[in-house]
Amino acid sequence: MRLAALALLAFVACSCGASGSKDVKPLLVVVNAPFSRTPYLGRTIENGVRLAAQQVAATGLRVDGQRYRLEVRTMDNGLSPAHAVANVRQAVADGAVAIVDEGTGVNASWRIAAKRGVPICIVFDGGSSLVDPQTRPNVFRIAPTDHGVAFRLAEYLIPKRLRIGILHDDSDYGTNGESELRKAFSENRSSVAVDETVPADALDLSPQVLQARRAHATALLVWGRPSTIAAAITAARSAGWNVPVYTPPTGADPFVRQQLANHPAWLNGLTFAGGRLTAEVGVAPFERFEQRYETAYGVDRVGVRTRSGAEVIEPPEIAMYAYDFVNLLAAALTHANSTDPAKVTRSLEEVTIEGANGDERSFNKIDHEGVVDDDVYFARFRDMTYAPVKDDPLSATLPRIPQTR
Amino acid sequence: MKRLVLLLLAVFVLAACEDEDKDKKAAGAACAGAPAQMQAHPALPAGFPDAAGIHYTGVQQKGPTTVASGYLTETIGPAHDAYMKAVGNARGYKVTHDEQDAADSEVNFEGNGKSGQVKMVQECKSRTTVTITIRPA
Repeated sequence: MRLAALALLAFVACSCGASGSKDVKPLLVVVNAPFSRTPYLGRTIENGVRLAAQQVAATGLRVDGQRYRLEVRTMDNGLSPAHAVANVRQAVADGAVAIVDEGTGVNASWRIAAKRGVPICIVFDGGSSLVDPQTRPNVFRIAPTDHGVAFRLAEYLIPKRLRIGILHDDSDYGTNGESELRKAFSENRSSVAVDETVPADALDLSPQVLQARRAHATALLVWGRPSTIAAAITAARSAGWNVPVYTPPTGADPFVRQQLANHPAWLNGLTFAGGRLTAEVGVAPFERFEQRYETAYGVDRVGVRTRSGAEVIEPPEIAMYAYDFVNLLAAALTHANSTDPAKVTRSLEEVTIEGANGDERSFNKIDHEGVVDDDVYFARFRDMTYAPVKDDPLSATLPRIPQTR
Repeated sequence: MKRLVLLLLAVFVLAACEDEDKDKKAAGAACAGAPAQMQAHPALPAGFPDAAGIHYTGVQQKGPTTVASGYLTETIGPAHDAYMKAVGNARGYKVTHDEQDAADSEVNFEGNGKSGQVKMVQECKSRTTVTITIRPA
């Protein structure tokens, strides 16, 4: 494995020298993400984009006889739709060929990008209304959808005959998730003990958690920002309630573990739903991607340690989505033989690449989703790291990704 | 220098092929006895179609979602084609995404208020297991 990584490095190093000549023109790719409010998320998206841009430069990007390199620019949306829209307006005015977006504000910003045909690829937010090939032909997504996560959670939890206390925060992320959970549990409402909205900025969720306990909930399903998940766990555990807790992908955000660093046992048993990191071909392609990522940017440190003192790191899942999109973008530029964003957008429906995990990644005219619902798996925390669960058919087939250094 | 880079790249490619080879080996092994079929033909939600030759072995309800299991006495290529054809020709359904590898494949679909996936794995020389997941769209 080390030899393979060395080979790739040597290949990249050789190629970089070859593409540094003056006749290479830049093509702007903007990363619109919450760098100030959720730094880990912003940084990992940026790193995925930059890593792919470097590799595109290494292999060379030639469009209509002209050589190009992808120039990456970051813009902070601060989780504010207004800022996100302003960023997209600026990116389009500056001639961006594509925007890699966390998802905030896309309900408004897609129109601005659509006027110039600029593709937006969402790599985090799973809101169902964000992507529609018919009405928003320039919006794509490589990330698990809220629909997929909610239905996979329902499929996993309802057969366990749990009485579920649903807590969702009032952020866009929380309300979108609650909407999908409502659909997923609509035919099995007896499985839901209580369904509560909580403030996204609340530090103490004791009253809401107590209400769920009084409603005889036997599990909590918390859909919200990482801070909401940490607050819900803190409220339950500090009251001595060892209820199992289930979450969407935000449960794996390093912030949750940082908040619970003084009570690591409280995190044990937390189960989250997320996009599978590895494909049927095995763990090797993802490991190679992870090695390239670490070589370029180092590991994403969570900021906590296991009981044995090992430093915990976060595998670059979201970076993988951003990385795959930029590689699709490069393929679309070549296929279109044009840098006209509108032509590139159409080409994105016609190209296929091998993604970082070894699976095919592509879009088409009727489907702009890069992660299918059936690729959502479940993982459970133990000692600050997580492993796929064994009581779900897909998850049981997946390997554990090392998370310590 | 060029030779060294080429050599290292060859090693890199060989490492990538390792996992796929394991799947191919399993798919080339002789088949044991076939699993028991269901007595009655199951009615899948929203008129989801049968591929030609499908043998159902079970149907489960998992909350809002129906999961049907079965097999085809085919290798992965013809099995994949059978479901592409069945879903593609079924009234109201369309294939949203499909992928075929050496020993497994997926056909994703939506239509008639449902979405989901047909997952196929060639488990031995002449049999491909089929898992159909049908959930509300």
